[in-house]
Amino acid sequence: MITSNDQRVLFIAIGKQLRKNIRCIAFGGTAMMYYGYKDETKDIDLLFENEPDRAEFIRVIETMGFSEGSPFKIYIDEKLRDPHRPLMYMREDARFDLFVKQIFHTVTSPNMKEDKFARHEFKGTHQLTVDALRKEFIVMLKSVTERDKDFEDILTIIKKDTQFNWQYLIDEVLWQHENGDTWVLMDTIKMLHELRKYMFVEQKYLKMLTGKLGKKQAKKK
Amino acid sequence: MAVQLRNQDDILRKLEGLHTIETAMIALGLKRQSTLNLLCKLKKQQYVITSGGGKRKRLYRISQLKQRPRDPGMFDIINKYSPHMKVAEWYDHQVHGVYGPEEALIDAIETESFRLILASLRLFKHIKNWKKLYKLANEHGCWNKVGALYDVARLFFKVTRIPSRYYHIITDKWVQLSQLRKLNFPDIAQKWHVFIPFNINDIREV
Repeated sequence: MITSNDQRVLFIAIGKQLRKNIRCIAFGGTAMMYYGYKDETKDIDLLFENEPDRAEFIRVIETMGFSEGSPFKIYIDEKLRDPHRPLMYMREDARFDLFVKQIFHTVTSPNMKEDKFARHEFKGTHQLTVDALRKEFIVMLKSVTERDKDFEDILTIIKKDTQFNWQYLIDEVLWQHENGDTWVLMDTIKMLHELRKYMFVEQKYLKMLTGKLGKKQAKKK
Repeated sequence: MAVQLRNQDDILRKLEGLHTIETAMIALGLKRQSTLNLLCKLKKQQYVITSGGGKRKRLYRISQLKQRPRDPGMFDIINKYSPHMKVAEWYDHQVHGVYGPEEALIDAIETESFRLILASLRLFKHIKNWKKLYKLANEHGCWNKVGALYDVARLFFKVTRIPSRYYHIITDKWVQLSQLRKLNFPDIAQKWHVFIPFNINDIREV
């Protein structure tokens, strides 16, 4: 497991060895640690803007003893077939999930780029910039990735946060759906149904998503 | 009578916000020493930040989320050096490494935010390394903006003097500091080819 302090030290060390400036987006457990929702995470999920940035990041972590691992047993089969699945790098208990441009079918929306929760800059000769996504995006992406404990994390976020913006989440899911993400709608509906077993979620939000799904199926017929 | 609380999450939910020891005692229905013990335990777990003490009343800022120690970023530097005009941060900016007024000024210009740039005028008093600022500004292509802001700042505040070798325009292209395309301070605007969005009344706020 990687603690908040381990993560900070690791990013500082990476920042010092970079040969160019790199910007990436943190989501999943990493972003949750920046929020203060949890103390440790199994993996560091990062999304890079382009392949050369990811390659440079990989070069640095390989010098630190990380080696490529297999995503089998971590993601479900359907996700493993996706060309936008992550490259995984592991060292003992620590693991990096490195995506580029897309997180499976989910693309970076204009809101994701502009509406960040935090920006952490790790300075060496060059700079590693890590943008942490807003909690609504974290919930959406955790619904999509469907790994062990992802649902527990969703529950933690929503229980601890009284300011959770449901409408923002729904708008983003609909935007992703309209921009080619065929999974996000089903995955979020599934997550909301599960969530309603534990806490109150207004019916109207579920209806907005199922309404969209209904229209899509009607079109197909 | 003591309130039965199921677990720590319930306690945090009940206490979230700013408290004195008395308000925390009432909220929890506990005695003074028990409340202090509980707050001390929560502080160790990073859920509580304390301020005050001594002559001032001790305040406890309690959150359901862990409040980790942070490294200063752009907003912290600007708010530190701007005595009157404070800026509310719209995202949490932290820099792990060397970060001072020079870097904060460039970052503020890059945001194109009216209020942030206005508040950053105060940074010119604390610029120590003009060479570094010049280099950073050239990397971001914003030296003209820095020069224009310096000229505006020195009309109203005490600033550190810019070395003459850096006091020149880099490009003839007209640029905007924010979305406003106004020609305030026409002499300075003409000299640096920069549209200056704020006027004298705005600067009075700073």
